[in-house]
Amino acid sequence: MRTIRNENLREEIYHQELENGINLYYFPKKGFTKKYAIFTTNYGSTDNKFVPLEGKEPVELPEGIAHFLEHKLFEEPDEDLFQKFSSQGAYVNAYTNFNQTSYLFYSTDNFYENLQLLVKFVQSPYLTDENVEKEKGIIAQEIQMYQDNPKWVVFFNTLKAMYHRHPVRTDIAGTVESIYRISREDLETAYNTFYNPGNMVLFVVGDLDKDEILRTVESAGKEYPATLEKVQRIVDNEPDEILLKSIEDRMMTSKPLFNIGIKDNELGMSGRDAVKKDITTNIILDMLFTNSSEFYNELYTEGLVDSSFGAYYTGKRTYGHSLIAGQSDNPQEVFRRIMEMFQMPDSYMTEEAFQRIKRKEIGGFLTGFNSIEFIANNLTDLYFQDFLLIDYLDVLNEITFDDITRRFKRHFVEDKSVISIIWPEMQSDNS
Amino acid sequence: MESTRNEIGSGLNINSTYTDKFKSNYLAVYMIRPLDRDEVTLNSLLPMILERGTRRYPETLDLKRRLEDLFGANLNISSSRRGERQIIRFSMEWADGRYTGEEGLDREILKMLREVIFDPYLEDGFFSRKYLEQEKKNLITRINNKINDKRTYSINRCIEEMCRGERFSIYPGGYVEDVAKIDEKVLYEHYRKVLLTSQIEIIYTGHDNQMGIEDIIPDELLKRDQVSYVPRETIIDKSQNRNQIIEKMPVTQGKLVLGYRAGIPYEDRLYNGLLLGNEIFGGGPNSILFKNVREKHSLAYYVTSSIVKHKSIILLDAGIEFQNYQKTIDLINRGLEDMLKGNFSDEDMEIAKKSVRTSSESIIDSPQLMSEFTFGKIIANDERSLEEMIRQLEDVTREDIVQAMGKVNLDTIYFMDGLDREVQDENN
Repeated sequence: MRTIRNENLREEIYHQELENGINLYYFPKKGFTKKYAIFTTNYGSTDNKFVPLEGKEPVELPEGIAHFLEHKLFEEPDEDLFQKFSSQGAYVNAYTNFNQTSYLFYSTDNFYENLQLLVKFVQSPYLTDENVEKEKGIIAQEIQMYQDNPKWVVFFNTLKAMYHRHPVRTDIAGTVESIYRISREDLETAYNTFYNPGNMVLFVVGDLDKDEILRTVESAGKEYPATLEKVQRIVDNEPDEILLKSIEDRMMTSKPLFNIGIKDNELGMSGRDAVKKDITTNIILDMLFTNSSEFYNELYTEGLVDSSFGAYYTGKRTYGHSLIAGQSDNPQEVFRRIMEMFQMPDSYMTEEAFQRIKRKEIGGFLTGFNSIEFIANNLTDLYFQDFLLIDYLDVLNEITFDDITRRFKRHFVEDKSVISIIWPEMQSDNS
Repeated sequence: MESTRNEIGSGLNINSTYTDKFKSNYLAVYMIRPLDRDEVTLNSLLPMILERGTRRYPETLDLKRRLEDLFGANLNISSSRRGERQIIRFSMEWADGRYTGEEGLDREILKMLREVIFDPYLEDGFFSRKYLEQEKKNLITRINNKINDKRTYSINRCIEEMCRGERFSIYPGGYVEDVAKIDEKVLYEHYRKVLLTSQIEIIYTGHDNQMGIEDIIPDELLKRDQVSYVPRETIIDKSQNRNQIIEKMPVTQGKLVLGYRAGIPYEDRLYNGLLLGNEIFGGGPNSILFKNVREKHSLAYYVTSSIVKHKSIILLDAGIEFQNYQKTIDLINRGLEDMLKGNFSDEDMEIAKKSVRTSSESIIDSPQLMSEFTFGKIIANDERSLEEMIRQLEDVTREDIVQAMGKVNLDTIYFMDGLDREVQDENN
């Protein structure tokens, strides 16, 4: 296996592309008891329009299909996978987000047996009309669980206000209506296209033997008749402009909740550039909105926000946005103040604040390396942006105050900002 | 990895584990209070006021900024319920100097933590009135926020109804109606009482930097003469109320919680049988409940049961369609009957053992989990090592499990129902 080392971090990572096309990475973590593997396809909720593997015409599948498939891959004709993993002392799970579907497990022993099982089950779907129907009730309950969560609703409403037609605006799990339209054939089409080795990556983290990992994965991998170099995804042209300035809803909450979204127009990046933009934007958000900032302190002292206030940026090739979240009796005033500050940021955007937040980010990143989940999940996320996590600190270190001010001017503008509010609907015992 | 425990004063111990496994160091100071209606709100407010400033850093901003400068040293102060105790925990986690390139910051970080806990910002000998008024408002918001998370809210409502009259029913976040009467003097006097009378446990996990952890404690605390220890919880073995509480709210999904009493103290040999029995019943994706309620009948996405160790209570919860209320309860009851009849396989038992073992063994991969584990052993007076605990679980037999689950009896059902339930029923 090829070795990639980072001296500053004192960590290394091994890589090998298998014969069938799957990329395998191993990150050694000496002295750790837990061992972790995460097998991911670059297929998330935003990928429901694409050209199928053996087709020419684009198809559009019902919303929530990637997540539905994630549930169904746990189905096997002759054994209960949960039971099998558990009997080998492993905890298995999976998740779907906007861009990827990941299958993972961790165990303290029988690691290689579990690894083999993971690689095999993800590569062998078992779909019947009956088991597809059965899953609908379970997923409907999962969707309804999120519908009762005001933080989830306020977040998705923000996306709905920012985006005109980009699929990031629809719920990852779809709607109760859309999942009832999903058929076995739909799932097969999606599986055959996206669960193709060229679209997948496997990360292994723990105190393990790299040759044994390689042997195990090679023996469990299946052969593919056709390997896709790149899946053809169709993303409708998304305008730079926001769709709605504000969006409001009512739910059972104690106080009004809000999300302020700022739509990013500097898109299409990958690798180091994308990561640098990501870190730069997050440093700015910390400089402005974290509890050490002057601006936060002003709003806090006036009682406009409380300690739940915070912000982060997330971006991929085709979309990106900053989100500022919190609760307030007067969310519109918070919005107004932030927009006002965007006009005159100089007293908050100082070099001193930048250097301080940068040091904090360095410490936070290093501390993250205590957790094998942090390592594996971030490795995966950045991999699909063509970047290796162990070089993260180097990019962080090279960011300058100039980068900060430049990015601020381009991204933090009122025109691209929206507000989503959930007003409290008081509970009632009358029925 | 070796751990030591040193008593440096009455009711005051330092527990250290030195290891180079992590890139950061973690130091936590635990103060143990009784869970009591008279002080629960004060204890909840205390972390919020202490985080506002110290004598050296009276301005909150300066304090936060200093911590960021120290490579984002992560200060966390919280209060939480552990059985019938309320734990005030101060913790600091910071990246080790061997990785940040700046060694020797440990003493400064230790000093910061010491100041936050023992040397707060005062005005005329009491807490700042301005800070206090702000934090009182924030506490009220925080308490009212409990309705935002419907699942946790439902679990807490079940506990409240089930344990009426027991300390465990006290809401650990405090009570809105008790906030108003707190002023800077009342809170400061309570703070002094907490310092002078609480059992204090200091737990360090990290690189051996020779920084003198004992320096964190001011001299006056080394010779305390009125430390009071919180007694062990009482356990009730028979259900008291047989309540069924249904509350109607504007929600999309029904939240069902069942509270059971097991009455087996954690000191009892049979407790391990209960631990594994619960795991088979509703612990994970291999459990009877997961297989039946979710996989076979598609009634729920989540259905889990967990044990409240110190009270020997089992809490089970599921998110379901409103009209599936009775159907779900019937399936749960049948699942429990299966446990009592021993209708589970040897493999189920093995799986439950492995599952508990895997999560136990993973503790030593996280400084926070190690710290919580050490603390848990201290308050339970449990001197066993992790290995011993795991070994004893291996010895649990089918008879132990059946016998332990035989003691489990349903006490209270809580259901968060939808507002328009009647209308739906008529249409059906």
